[in-house]
Amino acid sequence: MEAILPNAAETIPMLVAFIVLLIVLGKFGWPLLDGILVKRETAIRDDLKAAEEARIEAQKALEEYKKQLAEARAEANKIVAEAKKAGENVKADIQAKAQQEAAEMIEKAHNAIEAEKKAAVAELQGSVADLSVAVAAKFIGTDLSDEEHRAMIKRYVEEAGSFNAN
Amino acid sequence: MPTNRLLVKEEIATYAATLLDAAVAEGGQERVIAVRDQLNQVLFAFRENGRIRENLSNSSLSAQQRYELAASVFEGCDPLAVSVLAVMAERGNLGELSAVIDAFVNAAENKLNVSIVDVVTAVALDDELRGIITEKLSKDLGKPVVLCETVDKSILGGIIMSTNGKRIDASISSKLEGTRALLKENNDGGEC
Repeated sequence: MEAILPNAAETIPMLVAFIVLLIVLGKFGWPLLDGILVKRETAIRDDLKAAEEARIEAQKALEEYKKQLAEARAEANKIVAEAKKAGENVKADIQAKAQQEAAEMIEKAHNAIEAEKKAAVAELQGSVADLSVAVAAKFIGTDLSDEEHRAMIKRYVEEAGSFNAN
Repeated sequence: MPTNRLLVKEEIATYAATLLDAAVAEGGQERVIAVRDQLNQVLFAFRENGRIRENLSNSSLSAQQRYELAASVFEGCDPLAVSVLAVMAERGNLGELSAVIDAFVNAAENKLNVSIVDVVTAVALDDELRGIITEKLSKDLGKPVVLCETVDKSILGGIIMSTNGKRIDASISSKLEGTRALLKENNDGGEC
């Protein structure tokens, strides 16, 4: 029992030393530690605040980026749609033009064929007329006697109109 | 050649009157017709071959040279016609020959009180036909008619009559030409 009881001779100096140490630390050490802790707290709080601001900024940037990406995607889709539409228009124009040219060529060919046909028919009929007249002239020139000629002249003179009618 | 129209007309009338007076004095109506025919032949030759008139109107020749050239070129023609042609060549007036002939014919018709009618047929006329034609034309023109006959087989048949720029074409050739034109016109561009 004695072994576990404090020795007064040892306890009292140790208690005094403890109190002195406590006073010294309370006087000089604690404010210093408290200043360090406060400074540390402030630094951590600032860091947290900065980190939060950075996070918010990053979030904003991300949202801005997403927005721009969406706009770019929409613009790209619009460009693609317009290009597709323009391509379809060009294709339709080319097809229409090709069809029109083909129709014109066909019409020209028809007209040319028709004109050539008419020219050929007219030439043939003209040749027939020339030949008929030539044959008639030959018969008249060789077959009529002088008396027949004179009879014809007499008839023509009687049937002829007046100089005053011209 | 004067450029004033009235002076030209007066000069043409002078040529025609001088020639007519001489022709009437030397042979009457027949000579007038002969001179007219020969001048018409010369005019036809000019139209067929322009070089004849160009040579006779050559300004590099003197007036005397042109006169002598014309006289030699037309040597075989009626002397009255030759003399007028030579004077016209001398004076550089051959370009007016057609007008001179017209004026000559008009003056002759007035002076002789006849109408000169050119008649073209494929065969020569006999007296009966001449009588029929003369009678019809005299009634038509209102005065006696003198026929100037020409046989031209190219008209094939019928008759062509002309006077003072008027013409009645009752020839077979013109009728055939009309038929030919009609055939071509009716068939022009038609379908087979």
